[in-house]
Amino acid sequence: MSPLVTHISVIFALVLREARVRHGRARIGYTWAIIEPVLLISILTFLFQLIGTGGRSDFALFFATGVLSFQLFRNTSSYISMSFDQNRPLFNYPMVKPMDAALARLVLDGSTHAVVITLVLCFQIFALGAPPPDNIPLMFLTLFFLLMMAFGAGVSLAVIRRFMPSISNVYMVIMGPAFFVSCVFFSISTVPTLYRSVLVWNPLVHGIEGFRSGYYHGYHDADVDLFYLFTWVVVLNFFGLVGEWLTRFRSV
Amino acid sequence: MADTFSERMIDLNNVSKTYPLRTGRKVILKGATISLPWRNTAILGRNGAGKSTLLRLIAGIEKPDTGTTSRHKTISWPIGFRGSFHHELSGIENVRFVARIYRQNTEEVIDKVESFAELGQFFYEPFKTYSSGMGARLAFGLSMAINFEVFLIDEVMAVGDERFQRKSKRAFSDRLPTARVIMVSHSMPALREHCQSGLIVDDGNLIYYEELEGAIEHYRALNA
Repeated sequence: MSPLVTHISVIFALVLREARVRHGRARIGYTWAIIEPVLLISILTFLFQLIGTGGRSDFALFFATGVLSFQLFRNTSSYISMSFDQNRPLFNYPMVKPMDAALARLVLDGSTHAVVITLVLCFQIFALGAPPPDNIPLMFLTLFFLLMMAFGAGVSLAVIRRFMPSISNVYMVIMGPAFFVSCVFFSISTVPTLYRSVLVWNPLVHGIEGFRSGYYHGYHDADVDLFYLFTWVVVLNFFGLVGEWLTRFRSV
Repeated sequence: MADTFSERMIDLNNVSKTYPLRTGRKVILKGATISLPWRNTAILGRNGAGKSTLLRLIAGIEKPDTGTTSRHKTISWPIGFRGSFHHELSGIENVRFVARIYRQNTEEVIDKVESFAELGQFFYEPFKTYSSGMGARLAFGLSMAINFEVFLIDEVMAVGDERFQRKSKRAFSDRLPTARVIMVSHSMPALREHCQSGLIVDDGNLIYYEELEGAIEHYRALNA
């Protein structure tokens, strides 16, 4: 049988297994993976509205677009970063490769977030009366870039974990404050010039603001540079894939 | 059983394998080249010579440091291996996963394992609730349910109670017309029962004997 067909059936089997394993203890199983972020986003939106919204009348939608794209990146990258370790016993089956495990998690988490994003945005539009999205292809493109950057970051972390498992703690320390400097609840256009020139180095700013500029008609997106985001995608994936290839001897 | 010298099972081409230890590297193979025919083969060697590692190289679980291995038959994991069973997944879910990655008919494999392993309701319960005997029966039943052409056996094959051991033996004999074994053991009676050829692992080299007795003599000399 051809190697490609083998890879595809292995990845398919892994996706089903991971979906089963991830929320194995909860009775409702995988449905929880959808409900949990939807609930979290609802509660966060409510809290932020209580403490003040910076004068935006549409804060719920604004915050939702930010936190959805941020979580897509953060959750998927950290989930993929554990894919080598958590599937280690499976590499005893010669056709199961570490990269299959990473790809399976990309497929699973990518589709989970796609459902969550669709659900939350539909709720905003139909229940809260938010305006419909303006440029759906641009929204898809930025989410795709964010997802691919998550894959590159996740695989890179998984590779570093082969030598230094504590890198995950470092990553968590970085991703905590990242929530506050990635334009999740403010717009880059409202940031004073001095801070703005620093913030634009953060690739997540371009992913999140790029997603918003797709959603909102006439969004102020002068600082958004999708090519800069794309560069990060390429660099992280290059580092991750080459790193994985070079350090395969560490995998057993 | 027909002699199958003409059909190749696995080729090792200039294979080297070492292990890092705290005090340097342990050499398992140094540039071994060998072509094993599709025969029942015993692997013999002193303790720590690297028999189990060789078995894992043959299974494709471990990669050689240098050199290549090529498999001409479908080769099992070492029988009884169950480290890959997920504790939260039930027996049937674990079986389904393995059937999928080996591209077998999932339902057929499930039926075979269910009737062979005799787990009853436990087949549908999480693996963590299994006794060690139940886990072993599931693992053994699964290896038997997949159409391997070569089975790898590391030391122990007997699992479960006496009745299950007889059943395992029968299932295994049923497979022998279409399958061969590669077996690691220190028990000469077991090797004589199952194998016709032998392979000695000694000091990083492999020596193949078409007749098992030759290998056993060599092994005795190593231990002398």
